Amino acid sequence: MGLEKAMKYALRRSRDATTFLAGGLRTALPALLGTCLLPLVAFLSILVIAIPWLPEVARPLRALTSAERRRVARVLGHEIPEPYAPPRGTSFEQGFALLRTPSTWRDLAWMVLHGYGGLLAGVMAVALWPSILFSLSLPLWWWAAPEGSQSAFIVLDSWHKALTMPFLQAGINILALWWLVPRLARWQAWIAAKLLGPTRGVSLAERVEQLTETRAEALEAHGAELRRIERDLHDGTQAQLVSVALRLGLADRRFDADPGAARALFLEAREGIEDALTQLRTVIRGIYPPILSDRGLPGAVRALAAGQHIPITVEIELEVGGTERRVPAAVEAAAYFVVAEALTNIAKHSGAAAAQVTLRRDGDRLRIIVRDDGKGGADPARGSGLAGIRRRVAALDGDTRVDSPVGAGTTLEVELPCGS
Amino acid sequence: MRIVIAEDNALLREGLVLLLTSDGHEVVAVADTGPEIVPALLAHRPDVAVLDVRLPPGFRDEGLRAAIEARKALPDLPVLVLSQYVEETYATELLAGGAQGIGYLLKDRVGRVEEFLDALQRVAAGGTALDPEVVSQLMTRRSPLQGLTPREREVLALMAQGHDNATIAKTLVITERSVSKHIGSIFLKLDLPPSDSGHRRVLAVLAYLNA
Repeated sequence: MGLEKAMKYALRRSRDATTFLAGGLRTALPALLGTCLLPLVAFLSILVIAIPWLPEVARPLRALTSAERRRVARVLGHEIPEPYAPPRGTSFEQGFALLRTPSTWRDLAWMVLHGYGGLLAGVMAVALWPSILFSLSLPLWWWAAPEGSQSAFIVLDSWHKALTMPFLQAGINILALWWLVPRLARWQAWIAAKLLGPTRGVSLAERVEQLTETRAEALEAHGAELRRIERDLHDGTQAQLVSVALRLGLADRRFDADPGAARALFLEAREGIEDALTQLRTVIRGIYPPILSDRGLPGAVRALAAGQHIPITVEIELEVGGTERRVPAAVEAAAYFVVAEALTNIAKHSGAAAAQVTLRRDGDRLRIIVRDDGKGGADPARGSGLAGIRRRVAALDGDTRVDSPVGAGTTLEVELPCGS
Repeated sequence: MRIVIAEDNALLREGLVLLLTSDGHEVVAVADTGPEIVPALLAHRPDVAVLDVRLPPGFRDEGLRAAIEARKALPDLPVLVLSQYVEETYATELLAGGAQGIGYLLKDRVGRVEEFLDALQRVAAGGTALDPEVVSQLMTRRSPLQGLTPREREVLALMAQGHDNATIAKTLVITERSVSKHIGSIFLKLDLPPSDSGHRRVLAVLAYLNA
């Protein structure tokens, strides 16, 4: 990666993290308010009289945690499931149940943590950007700044300090934006995912349910695929071959009486066979693109990239522990489909001048990243291409993330589990 | 002509031998696996080789690899590669060592015997025969082609397939004079150096499409 590219990437990463942390302020402020009210609720609960009211009190908290789950899910690429059991019994029983379930305490722990931490991180991330400009301009007007003004923790009281310390301060700020802010964003998302998601026991049950669901979806998708192939072969190729046989039969009957007409029928039969072959090729490509068997996933993806209008850089690292292990065929086909569909989308809609395809094996997951420098604004809810990718990836229990800010290109990130 | 064939499907292999011998050619060797190809070509030095892409033992792209390898040892060896499907990347790889005496066709084309034999003849004579499907794949990739008229595109496609002016004129039912006129205009628009020799022209077009 070139230096300019790396810098662009770092800038983007810091910008995205700042946006995320700033968005966190919307949940952090109510969380802080809740934290302030917490002692009151706790006090009333000890007196028992407040217990029937607890479900009412928990409602805004749950609304808040739901908002946070949605916000964090957008960057994580997968939903954070709600850990709550449905309420049962009288309001008194419900109140007690609330006190007993771990999820309440985890919600509260998140509220306190995010109330303080989220506020701090959000304000800091947003303030860091203008403070760089502030520091850089300080040498011009430090003498007019209030007495005792500091830069890099040093009081500015002489020219030589004023000409060095603000640059050091700007450096520190840039370092914080580059290193700390993206990590803060990740931690924030991680904390929310850990505390607001189901606990291990619950999450295993959920996981089984989710796997059952994706398995059912995969079976459904597989069934639909088989039906489509059957229909293509039955209505297309088979019918075509029947008509060829018919023409050959007719040609045979006319051969002696009217060789000219027989010949015309022979030629028609040949055209019919050529059409049938073309159809067969399309069907085969839909089942399993032949280039995947010939060249494996890396070669097939490189061939896809080479066939595009715009230059596509391809980076592929499929080695695990020094040896390249083949990904399961179904995953290979899905990965190929994802890249093909993404490149088609780029060619059709993005107006991009260049794009990048990255395939990486991370442990037992195959990660596919397709990035372009086009006009962005891709909406997975509208584009049928993205919806198709999401379906196909979900059927294999994978994750799909689309990041497409208007005017700043589109990044599609797909993760597919591939056994071990 | 003396011909070496590599094809693993017995029916198709026999069909090819029948077709070629009935046209007066001699099939000097038949390979049905990938590793046999290059030694057979080196031993027999045929006038042209007809190779299937997917062959035992790996059933991947053995034929294509053999073609490229053989051309490294015998650069003038004309090779016609046949496949159930065509892939632009394979064409690019085949043409990388020069387009002279290279053919790459869908197996379906064997059914049009005259055209197939004509393509074989062309390749053996140092010409080029690219499948229309490969050419259209190559052409959709090049966006500057949008400046060409539909007719000029047709002419360009036929030229890239390796046909000469007479064949292009016959296929499009126009006069050879207007074919030359179209070609002049194509070369002007694509900013290619004008060249009258049929073969150098094909090379220029392919180099352009392949860039």
